[in-house]
Amino acid sequence: MHIMEGYLPAAQCAAWYAATAPFVVAGAIRLRRIIAERPEARMTLAAAGAFAFVLSALKIPSVTGSCSHPTGTGLGAVVFGPAVMSVLGVIVLLFQALLLAHGGLTTLGANAFSMAVVGPWVAWGIWRAGRAVGLGASVTIFLAAALGDLATYVFTSFQLALAYPDAVSGFAGAMAKFASIFALTQIPLAIAEGLLTVVVIDALAGKTDNKVAVLAGEARG
Amino acid sequence: MSIGVIDRAASLSRWRHRPLAEKALLTLGFLIVAVSVPPWPGAAVVALVILAVTFGAARVPLGLWLSVAALPLGFMASGAVVLLVQVGPEGLGLAPHGLQDAAALCLRAMAATFCLILLSLTTPAADLMAGLRRLGLPAEIVEIALLTYRFTFLIGESAVAMTHAQSARLGHRTNRLWLRSTALVIAGLLPRAMDRARRLETGMAARGWSGEMRVLSDRPAASWPVLAGIAVVQILVLALGWPA
Repeated sequence: MHIMEGYLPAAQCAAWYAATAPFVVAGAIRLRRIIAERPEARMTLAAAGAFAFVLSALKIPSVTGSCSHPTGTGLGAVVFGPAVMSVLGVIVLLFQALLLAHGGLTTLGANAFSMAVVGPWVAWGIWRAGRAVGLGASVTIFLAAALGDLATYVFTSFQLALAYPDAVSGFAGAMAKFASIFALTQIPLAIAEGLLTVVVIDALAGKTDNKVAVLAGEARG
Repeated sequence: MSIGVIDRAASLSRWRHRPLAEKALLTLGFLIVAVSVPPWPGAAVVALVILAVTFGAARVPLGLWLSVAALPLGFMASGAVVLLVQVGPEGLGLAPHGLQDAAALCLRAMAATFCLILLSLTTPAADLMAGLRRLGLPAEIVEIALLTYRFTFLIGESAVAMTHAQSARLGHRTNRLWLRSTALVIAGLLPRAMDRARRLETGMAARGWSGEMRVLSDRPAASWPVLAGIAVVQILVLALGWPA
């Protein structure tokens, strides 16, 4: 879920831009290094960005009967690494704002922080931790994708609560309100995304050449 | 709404050939004004000015505009409902200033969204990327963004074709099948995207590509009087927007 254009006051827009900037700059430096070493990675990275964009336009059924779309945060973080995902994520969010009127330019910093920084890093952290403690690959991928997705929505609720604290109960009350609307409803979607990502990785493992693995290796270093 | 609708409309728009700087100053300038001034009356004035420009000068078709605006305005409504209630010790209740707060939020969000929609319905994303390059964004990042933009439509087309084929073969009959089918589309799409990238890379390398695509641009230069005019209107709206 994207925070729409104009939803946040100007000071908070600027603050979220500032918070996202170090991650994006670090990702951009990493990206430039990858491109300097292997110029052909430019195309694969662009294809990966477009893939993430198209992913968010696909519909998946939700347990509640409605349908939603996958965020691809978990898949991207596991396959391409979180640093590169932050830059690709910003590019994808910018195109979503311009090509789909989804999200916005003033809220790009806030959306990028929740979707291109928090989500991928949580997913990637869970993926690494799960593998380190010896959890099965499928379970780890499921947890990484589902919790990465959920972390994004919980963080979005946090951003909204910060912008609009409750008149009586302040930030905590607002967090409860926004989380009950935007994060609780996302639990079934997060589970769906987790399951989806497991099937995708299973299917990918059987059919791709080592292109993805190579890219992932470069991207994660 | 499919991926190409807004971009196609932007390419066919009456304002397609207006100088980028003028459109950017108009829409992004008013966007900043919309989120900076108090919603009443500032954002309301911005919304009216932008609507007048959208339909009066840029002649954006109303049906198209409504189909683009529906999604963000729906989100705005659900977000505004949250401000109507408050969580107190006795549980949920109506917030005393809830209506005012929700109205203020809606005004600001509408004004800002109208600016974004005007920009995206008159300016193809590729033009904006070229503008960012001129503003000094690193060439590598702009090039990746432009390539991402091109790939988006190619991969999007494949995804639509694959989804159609699955749905014609009852692949979306149950939720379980639907989820599995979507996963198979995604798994089929990634290798295709990578393969396409590799073929494009080979083709470009054979033509001596060094990482930057230089294309001729016949866009007219921005006119200073127009830019000044836009800035004056924006300053006026800023002045009007702050209640005395």
